[in-house]
Amino acid sequence: MTRTRLFTLAALLLAPLTIPAAAHHSYAMFDMQKSVVLDASVVRFKWQNPHAFIEADVTTNAGTERWAIEMTSPNNLTQEGWRRTSLKPGDKVKIWVHPLRSGDRGGSYAGVRLPDGSTLGTVN
Amino acid sequence: MRLLTGAASAALCLAAPAAAQLGAATQSAPPAGVQEGHGAANPKGRYAALDALPDWGGIWFVMGGPPGAGTPQPEPKLKGEYLARREQWVADARARDGVVRRNRSNCSPPGMPRIMRLAQYPYEFIFAPGRVTVNQEAWMQTRTIWTDGREHEEDPDPSFMGDSVGRWEGDTLVVETRGISGELEIETGWPHSDQFVLTERIRLDPTNPDILINEMRMVDPEALVEPFEVTTRYRRDRYGKLYEFQCSENDRNPVNEDGETQYSQSVIPAFANLGAVSLTAVRFR
Repeated sequence: MTRTRLFTLAALLLAPLTIPAAAHHSYAMFDMQKSVVLDASVVRFKWQNPHAFIEADVTTNAGTERWAIEMTSPNNLTQEGWRRTSLKPGDKVKIWVHPLRSGDRGGSYAGVRLPDGSTLGTVN
Repeated sequence: MRLLTGAASAALCLAAPAAAQLGAATQSAPPAGVQEGHGAANPKGRYAALDALPDWGGIWFVMGGPPGAGTPQPEPKLKGEYLARREQWVADARARDGVVRRNRSNCSPPGMPRIMRLAQYPYEFIFAPGRVTVNQEAWMQTRTIWTDGREHEEDPDPSFMGDSVGRWEGDTLVVETRGISGELEIETGWPHSDQFVLTERIRLDPTNPDILINEMRMVDPEALVEPFEVTTRYRRDRYGKLYEFQCSENDRNPVNEDGETQYSQSVIPAFANLGAVSLTAVRFR
């Protein structure tokens, strides 16, 4: 396991344990001040507690990067309009994330623009 | 070979009495404070009385969002070795840029009182004669609050949920919980002792019946200088339901060769300078 991969996993764990009552995405590993938008092709969408997550190939000037994006719980996402079927592999989407402060290729989900143009979460 | 077979048979014979005992029906005595034939174990004929209780139907999410600007969030005031542990935790987190190691599985639930304050996973409250059951989506945990007049166990086994005894004062459920394991925390990075006692006063918001208010008061003669009080609010989703939570099926935490989870607990307001998403309960002194 490379160091980068380890960090990505570390970022993804973000146990629900860590979440104080009044904070949803206050994960120190993520730069919550910052949002970046990714042109992404969905590789995998996991709809399961403790956290849903998206794996996606992101197109950049330098080529393609594999990103891992952690989300909140499926029940919370349902409140926001998400469903288990909202994403499927191959979907071309824009994903807004709060990136890892380490610079590794991961982030905390903020919002998405789906292939049909509709949006979920915070996109800006 | 024959010898081995004989030995195995002998072992089986020896084991049989113990196995028979395990299979026998156990007859526990009523808990202290509950008469034979009464209490939560004898619900039949007592369901109609539940109608007098308030309407807590649906599921409940901890209300999140930033606290009001300038509103200081309450913090536990620790003392002695517990304060020292807190300071060490903070130092460790600083040294690791906000990430602290954790030596038990992240699939291990937080236990009380933290599990009553999780932002991401809702709760439901099920009333039955002599008891209130709190189902928690998080880790699919179940908490029982006995309301049948029983006393606290004299020497409860330390546990994640503790020993919760409650009573209804009008429409307020008042619960005292003892026996919470001293291995657990008040909040992430805030240790307590095995003398920790939590009192909760839970009721609907008189101005909005879709909000449930839990006034929590924590005392700990060994760890806390003074009682720690914090209020948790939950919003109702009337027709929502709890989702399944099988942590081991979706646990992406790195574990080293000693079986220790490598990283966790990245709640670091001091680093994150979070602004609108500021943290509440965990902050640096």
